[in-house]
Amino acid sequence: MTTLQLQNITKRYKSQAVLDDLTLDVADGETLVLFGPSGAGKTVLLRLIAGVIEPDAGKIVIGGEDMTEVDAEHRGIGMAFQNFALFPHMNAFDNIASPLEANRSSAAGIREGVEKVAKLLKIDHVLSHRPKALSNGQKQRTALARALAGSPPVLLLDDPLRNVDAKLRFEMRLELPRLLAKQGATVIYVTQDYKEAMALGDRIAVMSQGRIRQIGTPEDIYNTPADIDIARLFGDPTINLLTVIPKKDASGVYVELSNVRVPLPSMPESVVGKECVLGLRPETIVFTEPSAQGAIPVTVEAETPLNEKTVTLLLTARGREILLSRPAGTPGPSSGPAAIAVNGAAAFLFDKESGARIATPATTTNRNGEAA
Amino acid sequence: MESTSTPERILRGIALTLVILFFMFPIFWIFMMSFQTNETILQIPPSLSFTPTLSNYMALITGKLTTAAGTLDIAFMGNLGNSVFLSTASVAVSLLLGVPAAYAFARHKFRGSEDIAFTLLSFRFAPPLLVLLPLTQYFQWLGLSDTYIGLIWVYQLICLPLILWIVRGYFEDISADVEYAYRIAGHSWFATFRKIALPLAGPGIAAAGLLAFIFAWNNFVFALVLASASKQPVTVGALAFVTSSGIQYGQIAAAIVLSIAPTLALALYAQRYLVEGLSLGAVKG
Amino acid sequence: MASVTTARKAPSGFRISKKALPYVLSLPALLVCIGILIPFFTAVINSFQRYRLSQPWARQFNWGENYLNFFTDPSFWNTLRVSLTYAGLTVVLELLLGLGIALLLQKRSAFNNFVSIMLLMPLMIAPALAALMWKLMTNPGFGILSYFASLVGLDNFRWASSPDTALLTVVLVDIWVYTPFIMILLLAGLRSLPTQPFEAAALDGVPRTFVFFRITLPMLTPYILTATLFRLLDSIQQFDIIYAMTQGGPGDTLTVFQVEAYLNFFQSTNVGRSAALLIILWAITYLLSNIFIKNWLRLRERARGEA
Repeated sequence: MTTLQLQNITKRYKSQAVLDDLTLDVADGETLVLFGPSGAGKTVLLRLIAGVIEPDAGKIVIGGEDMTEVDAEHRGIGMAFQNFALFPHMNAFDNIASPLEANRSSAAGIREGVEKVAKLLKIDHVLSHRPKALSNGQKQRTALARALAGSPPVLLLDDPLRNVDAKLRFEMRLELPRLLAKQGATVIYVTQDYKEAMALGDRIAVMSQGRIRQIGTPEDIYNTPADIDIARLFGDPTINLLTVIPKKDASGVYVELSNVRVPLPSMPESVVGKECVLGLRPETIVFTEPSAQGAIPVTVEAETPLNEKTVTLLLTARGREILLSRPAGTPGPSSGPAAIAVNGAAAFLFDKESGARIATPATTTNRNGEAA
Repeated sequence: MESTSTPERILRGIALTLVILFFMFPIFWIFMMSFQTNETILQIPPSLSFTPTLSNYMALITGKLTTAAGTLDIAFMGNLGNSVFLSTASVAVSLLLGVPAAYAFARHKFRGSEDIAFTLLSFRFAPPLLVLLPLTQYFQWLGLSDTYIGLIWVYQLICLPLILWIVRGYFEDISADVEYAYRIAGHSWFATFRKIALPLAGPGIAAAGLLAFIFAWNNFVFALVLASASKQPVTVGALAFVTSSGIQYGQIAAAIVLSIAPTLALALYAQRYLVEGLSLGAVKG
Repeated sequence: MASVTTARKAPSGFRISKKALPYVLSLPALLVCIGILIPFFTAVINSFQRYRLSQPWARQFNWGENYLNFFTDPSFWNTLRVSLTYAGLTVVLELLLGLGIALLLQKRSAFNNFVSIMLLMPLMIAPALAALMWKLMTNPGFGILSYFASLVGLDNFRWASSPDTALLTVVLVDIWVYTPFIMILLLAGLRSLPTQPFEAAALDGVPRTFVFFRITLPMLTPYILTATLFRLLDSIQQFDIIYAMTQGGPGDTLTVFQVEAYLNFFQSTNVGRSAALLIILWAITYLLSNIFIKNWLRLRERARGEA
């Protein structure tokens, strides 16, 4: 049973609060992703949990025990660093063996443990190499192997895929969930890549400026982002954001895009007449016949194939840019005038001033199976 | 600046030759002199053709110089032994005290750490006699005058600041994450210090040790003030030797060669770190 | 991968608390040095006393008298003059020479590197022994330099034995020993300069004197400043070379601060005057070292940043 609780953690450098009264619960065996821009305090938080720096205030409870004052080596934590932090004077074997040596395992036990985890991560052929002689990918796997080797009940992974190339990152993104599941540890995973967050997290905690802005399952975050910033951070291509002033008539609340009426079912009447931002996920917009009901005329500016989807940049009559995403291979215009249909039921509405989401859209969208 | 004309290249060549001559010639001349007898040394004009003799070195090593006037005792080998012992012991003590302190200064910015580090550094620049002269009286009082322990203690003034500041730089160069990683893997701070920090700063510690050795070896004034003949290192001993046997020029030259050879050899060995050491880490070579 | 929870051991037994650890680590070094600070305070007290080793019974505070006497004491002014002349001459000459050699060796080549290492050798020789070497070379009987002097018509050139040339001779030894120090620092500085401004200037056909005075020198300034202050601090306190060469003589020609203080203490046994001299020297070096340390720190910060 290894749960992890952070209670009212505050950490300042000089007078600048890097973490501001932060509280977080991680369940046993859960993978929690800490997601946020750099400078949000994610790395500091991991170091506090690991025990290499101390909080100014607050408590760190691991497995029900207060660990705030406990030295790093007694916390039962495995950690992989963003910059790998391999021991440059030891070969990969000794690097990976370091947590096992601390356990005072027998030499045979150490060998067995290292080889097992090395095989799992496919680095068993480079165990005799020093970090200098390893490729970036091998370094990353060695760092990961070192974190896993002691079978720690809590694993902290600080953006471990940040410094590896795109191909390896893609592979590891598929491989890691399986690996972490096998480990059975409680995991905190830091990343700046929303796809990684979606792929790996049981839950995602979105951080910025030393606070947690929103915490929830990947679906929650994607479908009910707490504010504009989070909506913008999750989703590729980025969500379309259009300033609008909702109106109301007999059939309900609606907005006008290029003088075309887009009904917003389920939106409260309180938004009427207020300056808002309409959020439209690119995949909720589709091409349609210009003559169809509710069709909005646009000009196709550019088309970008993006692996499994095609992204089109459109210009409305008023010159506003809109991105449309559709599965690759489906038909659609690649230039000239066209028309689109917007599903008002799938649109977000944010308060322009505070950025907060006003109401949940009626229907949630599918995210191309990314986190399924 | 690559475009060098021929006259310029010739000028540069001449300048460089003069520079090399000026700085190398004295060493060369003393070296030559140490293999000559007094007769060839006193020859005018000086000549490069002579039959080299090891008699000067033999006299120094056996400690007995037989001349027409009789036998003369030379204590020089004792001085050489003192130099070796004093320098080695001072550096060993300095490393023992200085390396942990350097680690503390590099890794833990504790209250007052900078002030303490600078106070230690300021010892490097204070006039040594200011401390040494009153120290003679304290040493008498403590029974430390003319003891190796007393000298080794005072030699810390030379060695400690050097080791502290150079080694501190090397510790600072080690990524803190590497040490954190070892701690998190389950090792105590001491194991981390021993297995990570020490080996990674190893070359720097060795270089600082060698430099401290050179500086301790080359020190003159400490032993001049605090040591009697039996504890004197070569720097003071050679001077006494010149005064006592003013005309044994060959032996004096041989004594100088023996006295400067160890530091020259060490300097050549540690040359990669000289720049950094000489500037206390302010300039990287 | 034995058990899952063995990694966590209850903290127990003897542990140094996290907060105390750095103090524990640095304490031994401090203790050793504090023992050396006590004589410093004794020196301050001595400097305010009438205190002669030959008349210990007459020891008493005379407050500023030792210092006040300096104003009317020609031998103090001589000490100050000689010390400043020595420091000024050596530092300026060594700086010019060191900069020149560094420029000669600037290009990285196996030969230049070899030469720069060879040139370091005088610096690795104990200054006292270097003085002895030069004493032999300037020996009127067989010294090679005396022979060279006679070749150019300077018969009976007496080097350090004559009041006219003693200063010149010790300055020469100082230059021989310490120029390599400035050279090696400036060489490291020169080689660490970014290459772009020089390439751009070369492309634009900027004259080389202009490049030197407007680009090289300004960029080298922190190195020059550090090397100069470093040397100035050492040079104003020079003892080894002068004492080994002439013991301050002939007469009082070379009685710089430390030599004069040494002679006062051991020959005229005037502890009070000796201490006052050293306190004045200490005040000078303290001022200089404060300027120096600021500069040096900036340079060090930069060197560490590049690592």
